[in-house]
Amino acid sequence: MNEERLRRTLLAEPAPDEQAAGERAWETVHAAFEAREPVVQPFRHTKPLIALAFVAALVAAALTPPGRALADDLRDAVVGVEQAKPELFSVRGGGRVIVESDAGAWVVSSDGSRRLLGPYREASWSPFARFVVAARANELVALEPDGTVRWKLARPNVRFPRWGGGATDTRIAYLSGGRLHVVAGDGTGDADAGGLPTAAPVAPAWRPGSRFVVAYAATDGRVYAYDTAGSLLWRSAPHPRPRLIAWSSDARRLALVTADKVVVLTGRTGRPLSTRPLRGVQGAVFAPGGHELALVRARDVLLLPEHGRPQRVFAGAGAFDGIAWSPDRRWLLVGWRDADQWVFVRVAGKRRIEAVSGVTELFDSASFPRIGGWCCASQQ
Amino acid sequence: MGVGRDERAWVRGARAGSVSDLEALFRLHWPRAYRAAYLVCRDAAAAEDIAQESFLAAVRALDRFDRRRPFGPWLHRIVVNRAIDWSRARALRSEVALHEGAASFDEALPTGNSHTVASALASLSAEHRAVIVLRHLLEYTPGEIAELLDLPRGTVNSRLRRGLDELGERIKEEVR
Repeated sequence: MNEERLRRTLLAEPAPDEQAAGERAWETVHAAFEAREPVVQPFRHTKPLIALAFVAALVAAALTPPGRALADDLRDAVVGVEQAKPELFSVRGGGRVIVESDAGAWVVSSDGSRRLLGPYREASWSPFARFVVAARANELVALEPDGTVRWKLARPNVRFPRWGGGATDTRIAYLSGGRLHVVAGDGTGDADAGGLPTAAPVAPAWRPGSRFVVAYAATDGRVYAYDTAGSLLWRSAPHPRPRLIAWSSDARRLALVTADKVVVLTGRTGRPLSTRPLRGVQGAVFAPGGHELALVRARDVLLLPEHGRPQRVFAGAGAFDGIAWSPDRRWLLVGWRDADQWVFVRVAGKRRIEAVSGVTELFDSASFPRIGGWCCASQQ
Repeated sequence: MGVGRDERAWVRGARAGSVSDLEALFRLHWPRAYRAAYLVCRDAAAAEDIAQESFLAAVRALDRFDRRRPFGPWLHRIVVNRAIDWSRARALRSEVALHEGAASFDEALPTGNSHTVASALASLSAEHRAVIVLRHLLEYTPGEIAELLDLPRGTVNSRLRRGLDELGERIKEEVR
């Protein structure tokens, strides 16, 4: 074959799905472009400008509502939310929250009462919050919310137990070392999901719905959707350094957070719908009943609509840690580690911030407690 | 106005925040970027991911991009290097069988002459595929390819020669 003929052949070679792939990619690139933060070009004579800007900021702070907001932000940057309550008198938005502290796993009720379940970690709710599943070093434990142990299962290096299913039949997925395991809700029939690639240290996530389909991230960077009947439904393209995955409640979207981006996949095939270049995302949860993602990074909290620009709903200095939606979708609970506060951000209607201080002491902990999940007001 | 001047204007516009200029750049470069990634890595889903990620990298670096230089080589450098990396990584790990969603290269091939060429190309190493794609699809000179892949020019020439020889042999075997 001569070179010209080779050139013509390569040009004529139809790349599969080229146009549709281009449309999907354009949506993602467009979204990333909308979300980017333009680089500020440096000025040659910066010192006078900085001084002028500082004076202008002071004047603005004194005179204008946005300026006062800026001043408030600066104040918050040092001390956390002012007028934070010293105690957790109630959970805004209702429902119950699972918390993990140095003392173990806790359940916080809507009236603010707290119950220590025991020395467990990585606790999470069963689908209707009737039970809690938690881990110990080499043990999987199913509990009632009052701390009564229903059953235990000894397995090496148990991590990230997650309970899925419906009202009558449930399963628990967890990692034992690098292997994905699935066990029935009554603790029977534990099995290694054989033949699948080694799991990354990321919590698996059950697809909402009647079939038992669990998604997990593997060390090859792909997400695998595995039907516990024994078949692999799909796998995603590789996305290195996965950190967490989360389903939307209608099972049509799956969010994958990596070290430097947030990828939203279709729940049906695992194809990417959008990729946002966002570094340092530590937590991501879909809004109940919707496709809006709440994200927490080290210094801010973002709402990411399916289309359009991300919206910053809270920001401050120091590190944030943990995020959860209220079951009624009106509030976000954000852990503000460096301020030792829980911050409730009302995202429906008029924006409102409420906070509780001294969180580590509330949960008898030396380190900042982790928010494990907020569930199910209807089950109260 | 030629494509080069258009492209410079679009880069300028995109840097200033124009979505329509970014889209013009994307529409101009997507087909070849995607096709190049596909021909090197031989997996449609991976090619889409690689081409998309390359555009995203370009968007992230847009503010640092030297406007006097053409956009295409800058993008193609990212695409082809990522496709080579992906192919190398795949060669090192075993793939699990899939029920759907990851049609293999061979399954996706069309019939006829281009099938033969694509099938033969698929049997070469990623490094050989990359230089052939850069030379004969994207039409870079060996000197430009050397710069894009950060290789000595002699290495590029030898890879081209060996790759084309091997390609010719494979095509003969296919049509026998």
